[in-house]
Amino acid sequence: MIISSYMRTEHRACDEIFAAAEKHVIDGDFEKAEEQFILFADDTIRHFKKEEESLFPTFEELTGNTEGPTRIMKFEHEQVRGLIGKMAEAVENKDSDAYLSLAESMMILLQQHNMKEEQMLYAMCDRMIPQDVKESTLETMKAIEL
Amino acid sequence: MFSQGGLSLEQAPPISVVMKFFITASLFGLILGLYLLASSSGLLTYSAYAYNVTITHFLALGVMASFMLGALFQMLPVIAGVVIKMPSKKSMVVHVLLMVGVFLQLFAFNTSISLLYLFSAIILGSALLHATTLMIKELIKVQDHSSSSKGMLLSLSSFTIAIVFGIYLLLTLGGYISGDAFTQVKEAHYSFALFGWVALLIVSVSFQVVEMFYVTPKYPTIMSKYLVTAIVMLLVLKLIALFISLPTVGIDLILALLFIAYGIITLHRLYRRKRPTSDATVWFWRLGMGLLIVSMFITALGTVTSIDQGLKSISYLAFIGFALSIVFAMNYKIVPFLTWFHLSNQGYMEAPMMHDVIHPKKAKIHFYIHIAMLVTWTLSILFNLPMIDIVASLLVVLSFGWLLYHLIFAVRKYNYTQKHTEKIEW
Repeated sequence: MIISSYMRTEHRACDEIFAAAEKHVIDGDFEKAEEQFILFADDTIRHFKKEEESLFPTFEELTGNTEGPTRIMKFEHEQVRGLIGKMAEAVENKDSDAYLSLAESMMILLQQHNMKEEQMLYAMCDRMIPQDVKESTLETMKAIEL
Repeated sequence: MFSQGGLSLEQAPPISVVMKFFITASLFGLILGLYLLASSSGLLTYSAYAYNVTITHFLALGVMASFMLGALFQMLPVIAGVVIKMPSKKSMVVHVLLMVGVFLQLFAFNTSISLLYLFSAIILGSALLHATTLMIKELIKVQDHSSSSKGMLLSLSSFTIAIVFGIYLLLTLGGYISGDAFTQVKEAHYSFALFGWVALLIVSVSFQVVEMFYVTPKYPTIMSKYLVTAIVMLLVLKLIALFISLPTVGIDLILALLFIAYGIITLHRLYRRKRPTSDATVWFWRLGMGLLIVSMFITALGTVTSIDQGLKSISYLAFIGFALSIVFAMNYKIVPFLTWFHLSNQGYMEAPMMHDVIHPKKAKIHFYIHIAMLVTWTLSILFNLPMIDIVASLLVVLSFGWLLYHLIFAVRKYNYTQKHTEKIEW
């Protein structure tokens, strides 16, 4: 379960940073909020990049299916990217109400997205991809930068 | 292949499916409040029996079943990866029959006209059995059940049993069958309805949404894996015990203790949540769990010692408060999210943000109204003063009226965005 374990850890790390940014917004400390938000945005986008450039193509090649789960996941990545843009604007404008409102949508969207990946997609990857390919995919993902 | 779906464009039912159930539930709550007001101010006089069954069923079916079926139509694709085909058409059949059935039952209880019992049994039975069977049929197909999807399946199965028993009771009251097992069936009916349907569905959904909405640690595996099965097994044992005339207090005690354990663990999850927000929905969850613990503590006490009617009434009130608190918490998350989600997925760049649909401050006001309502009903039980009854009834009207107003506001906002703002084609 090396894929599941690695990717789940990244999801949880993003949740923690997201919660920290939200806390700073609630406290009115926008400098720290911005710092944490940038970290969250970078980590999330890097995580998507790892999936889109390495894990998903491996899965698609193996299953011969580019119109299934990976298509839905990529569509949802676009939704999250759109929200990140709006949240960045809110944190820059120090608009806490707008930020917290967007944070609500982001959290539900992201959590149900993660749930699908963890319960199905990663589990399928761990089950179907041969061990050596999994290991090399994992190494490629670890090396991906923004 | 990707059966563990989620809230994607292809799978989410139209927003109208959910909203019509939620609005109807609030409307039923409002009517219930007016009925209570008319009774407490002496405008309507009924026998204690008619009053009690009317309130119980208006609340259980008109309010709770409407909310919970609406939420299930929405949540089955998200939580269980189950897609109900033609959701608009199927939900409309359930919705219309349920509305008619609830009113027929109300008139049956208050007039005791035989034919009304028959019609309400047929119409309510058709509405609810149609809903449960179509959902169970899809849930059974799920290959890898999560604790939530398994719980949903078991709670819908419990609801089906409660409905069948309910039909038996209505037909007995109408004089269509002899009803030899009336007492046992009545006890089994409300045990399956309250513990097996309402409480179990909340438990099942919480295993996923508490973690998802508030980023909490996971529930202990032993609880998420075995609690729902244990509750259903205990209910089945209770049913057998009732029919072979064995005492059921031991089963009731274990059930109450299991729900207390669940309530404490959920409160602990919420305490350890990573998200710092303490919006109204967090408070509704905390209150709901607190009330579940109170209700079940009194139930447990009642199994080991004799307790007076006042304490029993407080236990019922706490259970109602628990169920309503969770339903309100879910409403204030689901409705703003779905409004934003559907509009932004349709390409409306000016889709209102969640706080623009229902602001958390409005939900917080509802929380205070809800608390005031529960406190005044408790005072009403303790002191039995007509003036307190009137205030408590007014607060029921205000509570559901407040929610109804905000649901209608959300629908208007949705329609306005669709009609008056720019849409981008994906």
